[in-house]
Amino acid sequence: MDGTEVVSRELQQIDAVISKHKGHHGELLSILEETQLLSEQQFLSEEALNHVALRTGVPLSRIYSVVTFYSFFNLKPQGKHKITVCRGTACHTKGSKALLDDLGLMLGCETALEGGDAFYTTPDNQFTISTVACFGQCALAPVVAIDGVIHSNVTSGTLQKLLARVSRRRVKA
Amino acid sequence: MVTVRINGSEFQVQKNLTILEACTHAGIRIPTLCFMQDVARNASCGVCLVEVKGARSLVRSCTACVYEGMEIVTNSARIRDARKTNVELLLANHPKDCLTCLRNQNCELQTIAAELGVMESRFVQTKKRVPLDTTSPSLVRDPNKCILCGRCIAVCSNVQTVHAISDSQRGIKTRISTYMEKGLGNVACTNCGQCALVCPTAAIVERDDTDAVFEELMDPEKIVIVQTAPAIRVGIGEAMGMAPGSLVTGQMVAGLRRLGFKRVFDTQFAADLTIMEEGHELIHRLTNKGALPMITSCSPGWIKFAEHFFPDALPHLSTCKSPQQMFGAIAKTYYAAKMEYDPRNIVVVSVMPCTAKKYEARRPEMMGAFEHWKEKRAWSDQDAFYDVDYVLTTRELARMFKESGIQFASLPVEEFDNPLGESTGAAVIFGASGGVMEAALRTAYEVVTGKTLADLNFTSVRGMEGIKEAEVDMNGKKLKVAVAHSLGNARRLLEQIQAGQSPYAFIEIMTCPGGCLGGGGQPIPTTWDVRKKRAESIYAEDMGKPIRKSHENPQVAALYRELLKNPLGELSHHLLHTSYEKRGVFVWNTNGSRTKNLTHAK
Ligand code: SF4
Ligand code: SF4
Ligand code: SF4
Ligand code: FES
Repeated sequence: MDGTEVVSRELQQIDAVISKHKGHHGELLSILEETQLLSEQQFLSEEALNHVALRTGVPLSRIYSVVTFYSFFNLKPQGKHKITVCRGTACHTKGSKALLDDLGLMLGCETALEGGDAFYTTPDNQFTISTVACFGQCALAPVVAIDGVIHSNVTSGTLQKLLARVSRRRVKA
Repeated sequence: MVTVRINGSEFQVQKNLTILEACTHAGIRIPTLCFMQDVARNASCGVCLVEVKGARSLVRSCTACVYEGMEIVTNSARIRDARKTNVELLLANHPKDCLTCLRNQNCELQTIAAELGVMESRFVQTKKRVPLDTTSPSLVRDPNKCILCGRCIAVCSNVQTVHAISDSQRGIKTRISTYMEKGLGNVACTNCGQCALVCPTAAIVERDDTDAVFEELMDPEKIVIVQTAPAIRVGIGEAMGMAPGSLVTGQMVAGLRRLGFKRVFDTQFAADLTIMEEGHELIHRLTNKGALPMITSCSPGWIKFAEHFFPDALPHLSTCKSPQQMFGAIAKTYYAAKMEYDPRNIVVVSVMPCTAKKYEARRPEMMGAFEHWKEKRAWSDQDAFYDVDYVLTTRELARMFKESGIQFASLPVEEFDNPLGESTGAAVIFGASGGVMEAALRTAYEVVTGKTLADLNFTSVRGMEGIKEAEVDMNGKKLKVAVAHSLGNARRLLEQIQAGQSPYAFIEIMTCPGGCLGGGGQPIPTTWDVRKKRAESIYAEDMGKPIRKSHENPQVAALYRELLKNPLGELSHHLLHTSYEKRGVFVWNTNGSRTKNLTHAK
């Protein structure tokens, strides 16, 4: 199967999603949500968004407005494992920036995480590293979530162990 | 009616009014910033706060409505403090570079800060600086100067139905965005500039070409000539501090000479020429079963709108270039030959009420004069030049006048140069919605019937009504025509055509509310009151012209005699007519390649 067929198959699936939700309340959100779930890497590609706009008649700028408003939507491919570092005030004081820098070193992407406000997926699509403004778990700072599980009082050492656990890949010390 | 107390005095006001409206009726001023009459009320700035008895907090008067017995206070220490604080919060993230800002002294944020006596900016910056959007040939966006009033989105979506911009993200990251941050130049934007016209700050401005034009004017090798659109003579006075709608044709000509233009010509000459071509095109379509209704093609924002949203309707568009482009093509062929100038040395500068004209001048097909000479003179593509080299908006011309120390109000009245400065009353009214229609009818009627019109004034197509209709009797054949201004109204007429239900033979469409006199390059503010004043001056100028029908313009007649021969002839075809591109709501890939054309279902 060549690439164009894959794309058109995905677009057909989107068409099915659109006809399912047509005319229902909150139609656009449901369509976008299911479209994202359809994609292997859990994100809304430009092609997919164009297609939704084309079929629903919703202007592209409106669609962009919606997908950037809700944090549920991803505009970039998501890695197999999701690492979320809290960058709230409490976590920051307890060294969450250093944890982010450590992650960069371990996964070989220091520069991508430099600003302390990151969204990055490793080229092998294994890890997506992102930050949040606050998890609401300040008492347990610093907090890091890995694949939905929240880990508290994280240190550089525990981070390394956690990473090794989710991935068979060798992590640089 | 309801009774309210404002600052201790009782007033009878209509119900359903906002507090702001009620106070305005009562002659009490409340400062506002984000609110704009007829455009947007997003209640985002918190400048219009008032006290309402019984309310827990201060109330935003631009959206809250009056009720029976309401007690309103519009001035107190608490109100003044809160208003100031709200402006300070805006200033915290605002690059306060007023001195070097395009909107310096014409900025609502600056004005309100002064008016409210904001003397400090206590809060620290919390937003990150983001890059400018310089992708558009017509406009530049600086999101850092945006106060998120939402006026631009309202105009683009509700008035123009283009939806090129929307808000994106949320909270502190909220900003005005194009789809995927591609920039205005890479999405379906018509370049109409209505967003710039309503923006209170310098967050959306025209692309400034004044430096480039000053440079050309200094170059001794170049023959720099200028053409001015009809709407400039009713706009530039205003931009130079005169009353709205001031009619200043003669001073404008004098001012342009002082700036150093070698010849001061008039786009109105080309407007008369447009009527000759377009009028004959209409007659041709009527007698040869061409695509009807025929739609005017003078307004480049409208052209791009049709290319994006109604690509299947393009055969309805007249193939005539706009007057600006006809002028450029004639200046660099007919006029160049007459004067024995090398067309490569002629620089054509347009002064337009329009930001979309900047885009139009750079459309790749707008090189009619070069194509004309290329073979004759064995020129290579390296000699290539556009028909129109620079487009300045009214606002830019005002900046050039000021920078050059020109005392505009005291300039003498001077005449345009010949031959491309001769024009009729029919050409003047191109500047107002309905004007092209009226001008075309004056000529088409006389050409078709061979009779002289008893009354030249087709008043039914004048005025600010969104869609206007008229019926003309031409030798017993009744012609229905329509006029629309602003793209939302254009959309309605286009949908009618698509549904096969258009009763019209001829339609005039102008992109901007009110026509060119309300163009995106006109002085700020452009309100409906101001538009009406400019329109009055346009029709006054028409009445004062000795010739008021395009086919009686002696210099246009000479052009046909000496070069073009007949309207719609071979040379006209090459120099004065054009073709359009089916764009669809196109989308650019991040790598710059173009994806397939998309057309919206709705
Ligand atoms: S937009 Fe207004 S307030 Fe901001 S820098 Fe420019 S002039 Fe000053
Ligand atoms: S120039 Fe016109 S079409 Fe483009 S964003 Fe502004 S208002 Fe919308
Ligand atoms: S760009 Fe201008 S008009 Fe649009 S929201 Fe910002 S300040 Fe308001
Ligand atoms: S003018 Fe009312 S909130 Fe801005």
